[in-house]
Amino acid sequence: MRQDRIGFLFLTPALIAVVIFYLLPVVMTAVFAFTNMSTATGIRGGGYLVTEQTLRDLSGHGLTGATLSQLADAGYEVDTEGLAALAATFGDRLAGHIEAELGGESFATSRELERALRDLRAPELRITRDRKQAASLFQRSVLNIRHDTADALRDELTGAGIPGGDHDMIIEAAYTGWSWTMRNFELLLSLPSTARYALNTLIYVALTLVLFNVGLGLLLAIATFYLPKPSAAVFRAIWFMPRILPPVLYVLMWKWLMWDNGFLASALAPFGVERINWMLHSEYHAWVAIILINGVVGASFGMIIFASAIKAIPQTLLMAAEVDGATRWQQVRYVILPQMRWPILFVTAYQTLSLLASFEYILLSTGGGPGSATEVWAMAAFRTALNNYGGNLQYGMGATFALVLVIIGTVLSLLYLRFFNFQALLAKPRIER
Amino acid sequence: MRLVLEGFTKRFGDTTVIDALDLTVADGEMIALLGPSGCGKSTTLFAIAGLHQVDEGRILFGNRDVAHVSPQERNVGIVFQNYALYPHMTVAQNIAFPLRVRGERVVEMDRKVREIAGLVQIGELLERKPAQLSGGQQQRVALARALVRKPDVLLLDEPLANLDAKLRMEMRSEIRRVQLETGITAILVTHDQVEAMSICDRIALMKDGGIVQIAEPAEMYINPMDRYVASFLGNPPIAFLDAMADEELRLAGGASLGAAGRLQGLDRLVLGVRPEHYGPGKGVPLEGVVVMLETHGREDLFEVELAGCGRLRAILPAGSGTRIGTNVNWGIDMDHIFVFSPDGRRL
Repeated sequence: MRQDRIGFLFLTPALIAVVIFYLLPVVMTAVFAFTNMSTATGIRGGGYLVTEQTLRDLSGHGLTGATLSQLADAGYEVDTEGLAALAATFGDRLAGHIEAELGGESFATSRELERALRDLRAPELRITRDRKQAASLFQRSVLNIRHDTADALRDELTGAGIPGGDHDMIIEAAYTGWSWTMRNFELLLSLPSTARYALNTLIYVALTLVLFNVGLGLLLAIATFYLPKPSAAVFRAIWFMPRILPPVLYVLMWKWLMWDNGFLASALAPFGVERINWMLHSEYHAWVAIILINGVVGASFGMIIFASAIKAIPQTLLMAAEVDGATRWQQVRYVILPQMRWPILFVTAYQTLSLLASFEYILLSTGGGPGSATEVWAMAAFRTALNNYGGNLQYGMGATFALVLVIIGTVLSLLYLRFFNFQALLAKPRIER
Repeated sequence: MRLVLEGFTKRFGDTTVIDALDLTVADGEMIALLGPSGCGKSTTLFAIAGLHQVDEGRILFGNRDVAHVSPQERNVGIVFQNYALYPHMTVAQNIAFPLRVRGERVVEMDRKVREIAGLVQIGELLERKPAQLSGGQQQRVALARALVRKPDVLLLDEPLANLDAKLRMEMRSEIRRVQLETGITAILVTHDQVEAMSICDRIALMKDGGIVQIAEPAEMYINPMDRYVASFLGNPPIAFLDAMADEELRLAGGASLGAAGRLQGLDRLVLGVRPEHYGPGKGVPLEGVVVMLETHGREDLFEVELAGCGRLRAILPAGSGTRIGTNVNWGIDMDHIFVFSPDGRRL
């Protein structure tokens, strides 16, 4: 029992890390995905504000024209509040004058009130601009006035004579904070760009994985296995460099290589090749660039895993193959490769997951361009939620993108775990019978 | 096929591991390369297989010099200590592998595999994977794979070292049976003298990269060339006593063993006495105390401390009743002792 507790004690840091860095973000992502949170709504709730946009929304939702025009038309009322404001701006004399002439009267529009003011022939209001300003002090419309609670807005609506039956609808539309919604998922399914992101992600993951992370990794591992030891070590170290380089520097070097005044363009110019931006000239250029950039980094991981797996093959097995008459190629084909099944599966599984979630090299190189030709799912999530051009960050929509990735990733991990059957990977010690 | 090594020299960097080794193996003969670890026996084997480069000298298969031919083109079969079976292939695929890489026809391959599997008695295991076989069965598969394409030479690198004692005996005679049935020229590398003596036509005893003596097992046992050979062969091993010779041959403690004869005047000698030549009622009696007793069932092995001049081993039929601490007066059969100079030469 005591030992159990010590065991848990030792596990605690790992558990805390899992909770903070995995479970918590996943739960928050899941929660956000069902909201319409954005920069506009904020994340802490909001107030009630009827705007022109609200009116447009409301008309779409079938609010009667009469109520709409009631809401839209600014109502003007000469009351003590307005008079006090007027006195502060134009002086008590005018305020007294207006109170005497117009006190308690209502006007439907600014124009009517302005006409009434002009008819007063007051010296303070000779200029149209002044009259407009004075009139605005008596505006008592519900439009563009922020209320902290729903009840405050309801009172205001009642005061403005809006029918009580319409209040709930208006209040709902006027709410500026976030609310629960399934709309993100509907959007996800209906937007054509979603399909594009999914296809892009598939292209990105599949090509990088097959060509580089597994393909080139395997090739390098086998090649370095047959090289003399010192040159093999140097060769592997070189291929490892991109991985230890800071990604920003690494991508900068690629850009320097590929932009329209860069190395490639300059080197080819004397041969009459037109100077183009080799990275962004077309979506094909962009894809080649992205897969190269990711692949050159990714290949070293597979290379290391595969190289150690090859080293674990007993030397005598290759000797036997050699004596059995197998050429180098036949040794690779019949002896080495069949025994690489598990490492290949492992690298495939591991790299699928990391590629699905990664977009840093794409962001730094093509930035998803040209257009959104190379924008992948994870990057779409990032852009939508945290870094979009419009400036309205859609946390909820972004979280929905991310949630899909989380689900795919989790399902894949579980499948891989099951498929790997780690128990079977651990060979039992064999005692000679 | 006759195999000849002429002046075979192998260096690793600046270290010469094998220096100008000569060896001839007759057609159909089985020869053992016997020696302790590091004596160069496996290196020699790998050079014959082509797995190690030959630095100098010739390796002749029949009349063909293969010293600089690649292993793929040498046509040798090799059996490794750890079997070296391809773990992902079935037994049948393992055996067929040498044929498969040569592109033989499937029907032909199948026939040969069945034939050889029958020879090494694993016909019913063909569909298993190596991991499902016992050590002895794996070694049979390895043997079949080595033999399936009728190699010029069969090379066996410590093939029995990984097996337990009982299986080792069984596989030992199996290897010999198969070798005799196929009539193949074979080289067995081993550090186990019992293995070498029991199944080989001749033994080449190696030391420090050279061959010390080549002889038939019985001849080598009876007539070792030097102290090293004498000490290597025999189980339980030979015992050595310091001695000197004036007119009589005397042990270091002073006890006389009779007239010195041709040895007269050599004041430093080493006598080699095998356990079977020391015991009650043999030759000159010497006083001693039994200090160790091993019961082997049919026989008992004794170690006897002679008064002041070393230990001897004796092997006697069980039931002598002699115990540790008993004073004994056993003798040495002087007709069968070996006399060596202090530097190990046979005199």
